[in-house]
Amino acid sequence: MDLEVRDAVPAQSPVGPVVVPESAPVTFAEILKHPDIAARFQQIRQYFFLRESTYDMTSRCNVRCDGCYYFEGDKQHALDNVDVAAWRDLFRAERDRGITFVVLAGAEPALVPELLEVCYGEIPRGAIASNGLVRIPASVGYRIHVSVWGNDATSERVRKAKRMLERQIELYAGDLRAVFVYTFTRENIAEARPVVEALAKNGCQVTFNMFSATVGYKGPLTHTAESLAQTRQTMVRLLADFPDHVIFSPYSAAAHTDVRSLHDLFSCPYPRQNSGQFGLGRTFRQYRSDLSWVREASCCVPDTDCADCRHYAAGSAIVTARMNRHIGSADQFRAWLDYVDTYLAVWIQGYKKSPNLCAVPPSPAQAMPPAIQGPPR
Amino acid sequence: MERRIAEILIQELKLENVTPDTFDSGCDLVKELGIDSMDLTTVVLVLQGEYKVKFDEDSYPTLTTVRAIAEQIRQLQATVS
Repeated sequence: MDLEVRDAVPAQSPVGPVVVPESAPVTFAEILKHPDIAARFQQIRQYFFLRESTYDMTSRCNVRCDGCYYFEGDKQHALDNVDVAAWRDLFRAERDRGITFVVLAGAEPALVPELLEVCYGEIPRGAIASNGLVRIPASVGYRIHVSVWGNDATSERVRKAKRMLERQIELYAGDLRAVFVYTFTRENIAEARPVVEALAKNGCQVTFNMFSATVGYKGPLTHTAESLAQTRQTMVRLLADFPDHVIFSPYSAAAHTDVRSLHDLFSCPYPRQNSGQFGLGRTFRQYRSDLSWVREASCCVPDTDCADCRHYAAGSAIVTARMNRHIGSADQFRAWLDYVDTYLAVWIQGYKKSPNLCAVPPSPAQAMPPAIQGPPR
Repeated sequence: MERRIAEILIQELKLENVTPDTFDSGCDLVKELGIDSMDLTTVVLVLQGEYKVKFDEDSYPTLTTVRAIAEQIRQLQATVS
């Protein structure tokens, strides 16, 4: 796979050239005539039935990270419901409502393993967002996303926890449920390589996230145009250098490091930005630890500033939902398929990532409706 | 047109126990047949090619029946011509 970084940057990036797409086929049916596309589309469309909601399992946490989305807004003040029967009733009702995929977060869901087991007993597909400092019992068969924010020195400064990566690896190396999620901030880009090397050396899988500021955050972690470009180059190089351990795609890198947020590029379909009754707008809910939910606040990472949202969880729904905006050319659709394939490998236990189909993706800006694309920025 | 749309729906979504002739064009695809939004999007994209029209993304939530889809296509074709 050719992952020349300069060629992989999006068209309107401040650091690279314009990528000219191949001439556009006339119809979706023509795109699907490409054998590689047809095969991958059949593979991923088996998962179209997934309907997601997210749940804050507890307001307790064992670390305090700068810029943490949980300790912003109202949700942190919810009074934890610790009644196992009440949670079981909720998850049964959710299953009956058609929810087939849960994302369990919090503060730190590993602190309430009994609730995770209840959920797993009712809805068997899902993922848990954890800081990875407390081992989640093997009886909970969900994907486990272990958050990594840099090397141990950086984690101690930003997350106030000592030997964080070392302890995370001790607990989760060799655990097929675990995916380490490296969050790129403006400050930790250079640390990504040694961290990924350490993870790969221990046989761990890793994917990438982007720090996305919460509403009102003014700290040093927020990205700039320069740090976005540096992050993109780093992501693409790490993907090329660690293909057996990094779960990502060139289009994922392009979409998450564009100067525009995911909402600006793709129009977020979560209820917080979408009052309609189609797709996520119809079914998605974000429950707080007291089992309440508020439609107007519901999105995958509540209290994130939508204008800065490049969160991997957000993209997993926002980009995947916009299939219709990725049929301008066969390569654009290949890029979207790579994105969805990455999403499934990161979020679905047992799904194996296939080789990426599109090494040099078109700019994600091509997925914007022409009326709002505007002049290059 | 309704029959052809039903045919595409059956083919794309591998619907069983129904034929283009028995497909109820007023049946709610989401609420009654449980068709997912991504599957509906797939059908819409195929129909766009078939009828040389382009559905507005904002109109997707209204495309809930074969009849509604056919009506939308007729309107789009009328606009083009």
